[in-house]
Formats: sequence, structure tokens, C-alpha cells
Amino acid sequence: MSKSDRNLQILNVVTALLLVAATGLVFLYAPRETSMGDVQRIFYFHVPSAWVAGLAFLVTVIAGIAYLRTHEGTWDVVASSSVEIGVVFALMNIITGAIWARPIWNTWWTWDPRLTTATITWLIYVAYLMLRAGIEDPDRRARFAAVYGIVGFVSVPITYFSIQMMRSIHPVLFGPANPLAKGSAPLTPAMLQTFLFCLFTFTVVYFCFLFNRIRLQRLNDRVEQLKAKLLSA
Amino acid sequence: MLLDETPNTVGYMIAGYAVFFGLPFLYLVSWLVRQRDLEKDIELIETLSEEKKK
Repeated sequence: MSKSDRNLQILNVVTALLLVAATGLVFLYAPRETSMGDVQRIFYFHVPSAWVAGLAFLVTVIAGIAYLRTHEGTWDVVASSSVEIGVVFALMNIITGAIWARPIWNTWWTWDPRLTTATITWLIYVAYLMLRAGIEDPDRRARFAAVYGIVGFVSVPITYFSIQMMRSIHPVLFGPANPLAKGSAPLTPAMLQTFLFCLFTFTVVYFCFLFNRIRLQRLNDRVEQLKAKLLSA
Repeated sequence: MLLDETPNTVGYMIAGYAVFFGLPFLYLVSWLVRQRDLEKDIELIETLSEEKKK
């Protein structure tokens, strides 16, 4: 086993332990919120999943810029892997938001600015994956995807600031409180500690997923090389 | 329901955490399937290249 494989296995174990600890804090340490009940516990994974999606799309921008400057295939692998992970976490965030909204807002879905912009962002990155799948030439695919990844990121700050720029019933976690918000509640110290631990855990989960996904992509590239070698022989 | 009563929303919480754990689980399963297919491809390519050499 190579050193990088061993390090990845250590990261996998650490990530699993952190997830167990985070789940324990959510259910055993954080108190039950009195106005919403147990559904409020969705908050501890709902916000970190949005954070991971934003981080994943930011890494795509950085990797995209690096690819356009260097034309090294590794950056394209990082960008595409990161988008795939971001799409999974963004979807998780949207679905759990709808589940949380049902008892609090009395509806599964409303065209609130935050919900709408979050969904548009998710669709933009699903389109990124479809764009990649539709281009066969690897250089062209990497170049187009890098530019798309950079431009598409505009949707992330729009999603984040949408609840401050427009009328919204979505609570504001950071920044001035939203007077129209429905379902916001002040965090007790135990709630805040649990939230920060979950935020840290999800960040580690992201990097764990990213490194594993890059490893899978390298295996895919090896197969492509072997196929090309076999056909040219 | 009285206003000062904490509502019973356990079912929604369970549904939420089923998504939190279920979605990444499905994603990891997709990785395993892809990895298994790639390993099969490598085996096949190696067999074909050996046959070509003969």
C-alpha cells in the first residue's frame, strides 16, 4: 500500500469517527428547541451541507483558474470531482430544507428567494456535469468546464446574500436578523458548540470525499490510457 | 395545540436525517460500482493486450 493510500485510509477513519461524534452531539448534547421541537435538529447538518456545497464550488473556481493557467489535467480532475460532491451536498441541503419547512412554514416548498436561488445554483452545477459528459475531446472539455465553473460560481454569493437583498421568510444565521423570518431561534451555547463541531466535521467530510473521488478519477484515467494504448498497438 | 407546547416534529427530523445519511450512502455506492467496473475494464484490457502479443 502506498503512503498516499495509507493517509487516505486514516482520513476515512477520522472522518467516520467525526461523523459519529457529530451525530452524538446533535442527538445527545444539543437541547431540544422549544418552539419547533426536534425538527430543529436538522439545522446542525442542513447549514453545514450548504457550506460544503459552497466550498466545493469555490474549489472548482480555484482549480478552474489553475487549469486555465497551467493546462495541467490534475486541476481539471479536482474541479470535476469537487462539483460532483457539491451537487450531492446542495441537493441534500435543498431536500432537508423542504422537510424542515413543512412543519414550520406549513408548506414543503415556497418560491422564497433563498430556496429559489439555491435550486438555480444546484441546476447550474448539474448542467456543468452534463456539459462535461457532452464533450469528448479532453482538452476542450477541461477548458469549457473551467470557464463554466468560474462563471457559474456567481450564483453562490447571490444565493448567500439573497435573504439580505430580498424579502424572505428564511432565517438569517450570520448578519442582521430578518424581521420576516419564520423558524429562526437564538442558539444556546450547547447548540452553538454542536453547530460549530458539525461545520468542522462536514469540512473534513468534504476533503475526505474529494481525495477519494480524485483517486477514482485517476483509476478512470488509467483505464482510458490503457484503452488508447491497446487501440494504437 | 397550546402555543407554549413544544410540537412533536420527530417524524420530520427522522426524515431529514434519513436524507443526510441516505444520499451520501447512495453516492458512495455509485463510487463502488464505478470502481468495480473500472477494475473489470483493466483486467479485460490486460487480457486483450496479452492475447495481442501472442
